[in-house]
Order: sequence, then structure tokens, then C-alpha cells
Amino acid sequence: MPSPLRDARSDARRRRRAAVFGAPPGLPAAEPPLRAVGGIVLDASPHLLALAAGGTEVRFAMSGDTGIWHGGRGGLAALRPGRPVIVRLKEGGAGAEGTGGPLGGRGVFVADRVWVDIRRVAGTILACGRDTVEVDMGAHRGRARVVIPPHALQRVLVRHPRLEPGYLIDVICVGSPDGPRAVRPGTSQPGYRADDLAAPEATAPVPGVLRGTATWFGEAGGETPDGAAYPAVDSEGAAGGCADAPSGCVPFPYLSVGSLISVRNECGGRAAAVPVVECGCTAARFCDRCVECGASPRGRIVELTPVAFAGLGGELDAGCFNASVRPDLPVEGPW
Amino acid sequence: MVTAFQNSQVLLLAAVLLAACAAKLTVREPAAEAPDHVHGVPVPAGLARLTAVRRNRGMTVGLAAGEGLLGLALLVTSHLSVRLATTVAFAAATWVVGELRVRRPDAGCGCFGGLSGKKVGRRSVLRAVLFTGAAVASLGAPLAGLDVLRDVQSQVGLVLAVELALFAALSPELAELVERRRAPAEPPCERRRSPLAETYATLHESAEWAAYENAVASAVPLDVWREGCRRFVVFAARVDDRDVEIVFAVSTAGQDRDVRAAVVTPEPAAAV
Repeated sequence: MPSPLRDARSDARRRRRAAVFGAPPGLPAAEPPLRAVGGIVLDASPHLLALAAGGTEVRFAMSGDTGIWHGGRGGLAALRPGRPVIVRLKEGGAGAEGTGGPLGGRGVFVADRVWVDIRRVAGTILACGRDTVEVDMGAHRGRARVVIPPHALQRVLVRHPRLEPGYLIDVICVGSPDGPRAVRPGTSQPGYRADDLAAPEATAPVPGVLRGTATWFGEAGGETPDGAAYPAVDSEGAAGGCADAPSGCVPFPYLSVGSLISVRNECGGRAAAVPVVECGCTAARFCDRCVECGASPRGRIVELTPVAFAGLGGELDAGCFNASVRPDLPVEGPW
Repeated sequence: MVTAFQNSQVLLLAAVLLAACAAKLTVREPAAEAPDHVHGVPVPAGLARLTAVRRNRGMTVGLAAGEGLLGLALLVTSHLSVRLATTVAFAAATWVVGELRVRRPDAGCGCFGGLSGKKVGRRSVLRAVLFTGAAVASLGAPLAGLDVLRDVQSQVGLVLAVELALFAALSPELAELVERRRAPAEPPCERRRSPLAETYATLHESAEWAAYENAVASAVPLDVWREGCRRFVVFAARVDDRDVEIVFAVSTAGQDRDVRAAVVTPEPAAAV
């Protein structure tokens, strides 16, 4: 994964905060994140994959072990030019030609997993047709019409028994000419209506480390810079939050767009500091668990962009990993 | 001895009923609109609405009035109907508390108003059973509560003291009462909603603002954002003929909000 995105405003905020409170402490010891890249396929062969990523061309070595996902296990035929992909590289990979760009330097990179045109639709069900569901994905992400083909419907219904307006839905999709086509459920559907969220008491103390489930949002080659959607972004000033966001089912401290949070994958032990890039008002509605490695505490504490999620060892097609999040809050020392 | 024991039950029950009445009328249950969890699972809308009915203020006041009347009646009359009504009331309360413990392990019984907000435990059920037993024992008591009080025998005092101590030991409400006295409930500053107007009011009253007010070049801040307990407000300023930025970090706490400030040299590439 590339180093955390440091846009001008985020950098300025960190610099200004450090002037008052000093530099924040570093990350606790953890496995470093893997490298992952999102881009558009330029060319693919059994041995080489060329992508347009970050305004430059990047090449990866392909091997027989490289897993390709395109609505399920896919082959080289799925890597058609023009399709958006997320590529996660082998740890310490060596064996091909990198040309810098988003990978930050020359080197040799071997693709470990490639997700082709993977998408995710999570939000509140607005309407259900015969094989389509219209979903409100929140103020920032608009609406989506998901096609649920008959072979996927059974899988979706097992974990989303209430496909009715007002309930939540979360499905992993693959891109198609008709829009996102559901492949499998992202997580189990919460049993309550979207507006019946059980918030913690207003006086509940804020833990230093939040524990729950981490998911991903968006799509390969999306507009959003790499980072995280955090459920409690302040809505005042230029903080970037939405005024009508629910408070979530975990006592979150308020942060702003540009704030750093440390996200740790409790299943794989990888951790990284990622910037908050969006208000996670949709995540705040999900009071669910991840069962990737034991049952996580309830609460969708962060949504990551696909590159950040894959870099932390998450499988995009699985949908979540058990996570802990440590917000980088100002340390109140003596003044 | 038996008569003294029976008489002391009348006093105990009257005291408990009057205390419950007073608690229901004076200590309100917290945030009735906040949804609940059962074993960490959000309560479905239907059950939440039932809880709302139980938490209805009118129902609470009605119950309190009934308890107050029974308590006073126990003090002034030794009529069997009053004793019977008390016994039935405590038996019903025992049933309700037992049902709540099984069906709504998340919800408090509301026996002592807002003080009984925590989940119903074994202690609360045992307490209700013991009160029912005391009510049964009081059926044969010859004296009304006030008559017992007029001439308190040492045996009555002793039994009453022991029972009150047992009652205190079985009451989770006492811990809640002590906690409420100690710290008024307020959201932690990290998640307290703090309007921008409050931040500016705190800032403009602070010594830090007074120190830098004349240096501030524009009333419109360069940036305003929040991280945890602090809202940061940045103004362009001019100090010693240099263009600088003044960063104010204003607390978002409910009380005793402080302000910190620092002068930063702007970086042209980073100044947004």
C-alpha cells in the first residue's frame, strides 16, 4: 500500500495541531501493510499485467499463484483492457518491473491477488423490484440500483432475510453493463430497521482503542483518495461531517476529514495509519460484526478504500476483517 | 416477640412504599428515547415501543401515587384490606421483576424510578420476594404504623434495623444514588456535540484571544476542524511584521473549557 495520502489540507492540519500539542506518538509495533494498487487494465498476459495507476503505467509480474477475482474465481480473460482492478502484491515481492508512480520507486512487484471490477453496495433499501434493489448509500455516495441474479439471490437471502424497504443491505458486486450485479452478501444484515439503531448512552466513555469490524467502500479507480470513512466526523466548520449522521453503536470520538487513525487488522496483525477521507455516515448505521477470525465486537468502526483494505490484508470479496482503530487524538499535556 | 416482628413489618413496608413513591416522583428515568440492547443486540422497534410505554411518565406517576397511598394507609390504619392490598401489590411486583429478569435482561425494573435503571439482577428478585413475605407476615399485625411508632419497643427497633440493613444490601439503587451524587452525568468531551457558536464564545472570552486579538488579520478563520476534545480555529495574523497563523485549540467539554494557542509560520504549499 502506498504511504498514507497526505493532501495539503491534512498536512496543514497536522502541522498546526503539532504546534499546539506536539508531535503525535507513532504507531505501536505491528506488521507493516502490504502494497496494493488500484488502476485500469492496459494490457494483460500470463506473465505480465500493465495498469494505468496514478497517471502512470505500472507493471506487475503474474504467476500461476496469482488469484484473479471477477465475480468469483476468474482467469486471465477477466483482465480486459479498460476494466478497473485492485492488485495486492506479494510480500517482499520481487520479479518484475516497476516504474515508480504509486508504488513509490523502481523495483520488482509480483501480483498476489487481483480483484477485477469489484464493487460494494451498502446502505438502506429504498425499493425492491423483481431482481433489483434500490439502495440509498448515504449523503456522499448517492443511490445505486443493484441487480441480484437468481443464482446470487439465495446466497444474499441467507444473510439478508429482510429484503424490504427500510432495512439495511450490504452486498459485494461485480460491475456489469446494467450496473452493479450482486455476487454475495458482504456481511449479515442487522436485524433492526435502519432508523432503529441502538446508540450507546450519551455519557458512555470513549475507549482509547475502538474495536469492531472494518469494511471497505467504493470501487477500483474511484474518485475518493485512499483512506478511511470514519463514522463520527464533526459536522461543524470545515471538518467535513454530515449533520444528520447517526451516532453509531460505538462511543466514537469526533474527528475531521484529514485526521489520522491507526487501523489494525486483528486477524492478520497488519496495521497502518490512514487519513479520514470521508464521513462514514453509512457505516454508522451498521451495528454488525465480522467473523473472519472469531466474532468481533459489534460496530462498523471504519470503512476503508479498497486499496487501504487490501493493503491491510483484507480480502475484498470476503467483505470485512476484525479491526481495532486508534484515533490520533491530541495529547493533553500541561500547558 | 411474634407481634413485635409483625408490627415491625408494617413499618418496613410503609417506609419502602413511601421511599419508592418519592423516588419515582423525584428521580426521572434517563433518556427514554435512547434505544436499548439485549445481549448487545439492538432491541426491535416493537419491544422498544413497549419499553416506552413502561417508561411513560404518566404511568410512573400513577404507580407512585398508588404506592404513596398504600404507605400512608399502612401508617394510619390496621384494616385488613390495606394489608391485603399491600400483599397483592408486592406479590405482583415480584412477578413483574421476575419476568423482567427473564425477558428483558437489559432493562431496569423502575422500582425506585430512575435509580432502578440497571438490569434486574437476582438481588432485586430476592428483595421483592422478601417484601412479599414481609407483607404476608404483616397481615396479622395488630397495630397501625403510627401506633407502632408512638411506642417503639427495642425488639421492633432491632428487627427493623436488621431488615433495613438487609434491604440496603439487596438494593442496587444505593450504588446508583451514590454515583449520581458523586458526578453529574455529562457526555465525555470527545463525543459531546459542541456548536461552533459555543467554541467562538469560549475563544472570545479567553486570555489567549485577548493576547492575540490585535494581531489577527481577518475575522474569517483559515480553517476550523475538530479532533476529540479540541476544536481548532486558525486565523491569519501579523506578528512582528511577519505573516503568521495563530492556531487556537478550544476545548469541547461541557464545563471549564480552556483554550490553547500557538503561532505557526505558514508554509506556502501547505497553507489551505
